[in-house]
Amino acid sequence: MNSIVEIKDVWKKFPMRREKAGFKEFVVNLPKFLKSSPNSHFWALKGVSFKVKQGECLGIIGKNGAGKSTLLSLILGTIYPTKGDIRVSQKITPLLELGAGFHPDLTGRENILINGVLLGLTKDEVSERMEEIIAFSEIGEFIDMPVRTYSSGMYLRLAFSVAIHTAPELLLIDEILSVGDEAFQKKSKDALLNLINGGVTTLFVSHQMSAVKEICDRAIWLDGGEIRGEGEPERVVEEYLRCPG
Amino acid sequence: MGMMNREFRRKKDLLWLLTRKEITLKYKRTVLGILWSLLNPLLFAIVLVIAFKIFMRIQMENYTFFLLSALFPWNWFSASVTMSTGTLIGNVTLIKKIHFPRHFLVLSTILAQLVNLIFALPIIIGFSYFYGKGPGMNWVLTIPILIVIQFFVTTGICLSISLVNAYFRDMEYIIGVAVTMLFWMTPIIYPLNIVPEPYRIYLILNPLTYLITAWRDIFMSNSIDWGSIGISFGSSLIFLVLGVFVFQRFGKRLDEVI
Repeated sequence: MNSIVEIKDVWKKFPMRREKAGFKEFVVNLPKFLKSSPNSHFWALKGVSFKVKQGECLGIIGKNGAGKSTLLSLILGTIYPTKGDIRVSQKITPLLELGAGFHPDLTGRENILINGVLLGLTKDEVSERMEEIIAFSEIGEFIDMPVRTYSSGMYLRLAFSVAIHTAPELLLIDEILSVGDEAFQKKSKDALLNLINGGVTTLFVSHQMSAVKEICDRAIWLDGGEIRGEGEPERVVEEYLRCPG
Repeated sequence: MGMMNREFRRKKDLLWLLTRKEITLKYKRTVLGILWSLLNPLLFAIVLVIAFKIFMRIQMENYTFFLLSALFPWNWFSASVTMSTGTLIGNVTLIKKIHFPRHFLVLSTILAQLVNLIFALPIIIGFSYFYGKGPGMNWVLTIPILIVIQFFVTTGICLSISLVNAYFRDMEYIIGVAVTMLFWMTPIIYPLNIVPEPYRIYLILNPLTYLITAWRDIFMSNSIDWGSIGISFGSSLIFLVLGVFVFQRFGKRLDEVI
């Protein structure tokens, strides 16, 4: 089986500047700055390695600040590793922050178009799916209104609908999404499960252990930026829950 | 091959949509809408004409045409540079949560400002009929070349500015002053030859001098000054390479600062 995601000894550090550097400081410290060595820093990931196979659903669990979200951002490509290699060979569909690409002054339709393209479709492909996306979101006649007039539920429903209609190949999910009312939550969860069970490779970060056990084929337990456990979701979750503190 | 083609089409769509978004948003909730693209530079031009032609009585034939032929291309440059300070810092969520070519944000800002220049072309054509030699084949050849050159130089500068401003917001204020200074240090409202000889060297060192001269030559006298175009092109490539270098070198740590 082909590996869709390959993470090799990835380290990521974040600078912890007490104060924002000023321009004067920048000029004075230019040589140091170019070598990029901030005085104090924080290692969010310390040598993480793993692979994800085609069609696999990998759960990532761990406490707050364990490095789960950093890991997803690295795979997505919005941040770069300090050391190590990341290789991703499929189109990524992030479900990290729904509606990140939405602009409040644009209409629902305009936002669908631009976000569909941002998430990997061509303009024509989005146009073909437009009605389907609108129907799924249950936005109705509000679709030609600026999204700033939407309720937060409508906003999330539309964003979710765009994301799952972009023919995902590799899904990045940060926490199971509770989008809209109960009926829509069920509908969105079913749609996601459909994709996952249909063979879409998935990385699933969650604090809901039951969901991890239910959905995932394999789980990774991150602790302090390192992998502490890996394997059967049942077993890894047990270990994680048994660990004190 | 098919995949490559599709990815190229997608990139093209993305750039076009981001540019259109920029244009739409600029005039959303205004009454006059995109007319402002034209009104803004025109009002500025009127003030300059009143100040220099009427109050200071500059003795020059067709001074209004002389001014506009340089002012409209300049406005594309200055508006792009000014806007680009906010391009990256104004799109934080997009940058942090979605993976896409970030330089497209800068490119779309510049392309959106190009609309103003294109809107202004009919005015320049009108002036050219009345006061110049009228538009000719040279226009068709030169205008696209000059647009590409100016796009290169503006892109190089805007890439650097947008990125540096993410690290140091001081850039915004520096640019505010620098653009004004550059406006007066480029032969826009005066011709190069009225500058006293010892000072002319400073203008000759300014790459925008050649670009503006080339624009004015084509608009006012339908002539192509290949020398100016060549120098503009060469310097635009230097700016472009520098901008791309800065953007790639420091762009990797962008998420840490915005």
